[in-house]
Amino acid sequence: MLPTVPASHFLFMVVYALLVSIVFATLLKDQRREQVRTAAMMFGAFLAAAVVFGWLMYPFPL
Amino acid sequence: MATKSTTAERPRAAAEPWRLALVCALAWLVPGAGHLLQGRRDKGVVFLVTLPLMFAFGLWLQGRIFPLEWSDPLVFLGAIADRGIGLPYVIAHLADAGAGTVTAASYEYGNTFLMTSGLLNFLAILDAFDIAQGRK
Repeated sequence: MLPTVPASHFLFMVVYALLVSIVFATLLKDQRREQVRTAAMMFGAFLAAAVVFGWLMYPFPL
Repeated sequence: MATKSTTAERPRAAAEPWRLALVCALAWLVPGAGHLLQGRRDKGVVFLVTLPLMFAFGLWLQGRIFPLEWSDPLVFLGAIADRGIGLPYVIAHLADAGAGTVTAASYEYGNTFLMTSGLLNFLAILDAFDIAQGRK
């Protein structure tokens, strides 16, 4: 039996950002050290952009 | 004057057409297989783990595997993206998974995970193709 799906949108976004960052860094760089650095930077950028855009959209409810 | 040419400057010979086709087909069927076949073990393992994991996560989030419907172009494009992951898609299709629950809070996230995993595998296939062509 699969565990219940959590209702945290932030958690989904973090997992998504992590996996996409890892794949992109692996595609773009050949050295492991560079891959780790690129993945970390990309992951941080994903999270920062999501938080910034989230706050920018705050005054505009759907 | 003749120009000097060193081994390092020369591009690697491109693979035979049948080998290119084999690499691309295997890379589509099993994410990372195109890299593993060409000795790029680290990259292959990363794709082999992350892309099916992403697809499985999409299914767990109750995302939908879209049908190939010509009448709705966006659904059709989503269906192409879903099928990019290869074997995990085939297994999900055979297991009748991916029906999707539109009312679930995670439905759109699930769709995004499913489609992105397929699209990223398309990029991995192109990367494997470039390696086989001797460009990387």
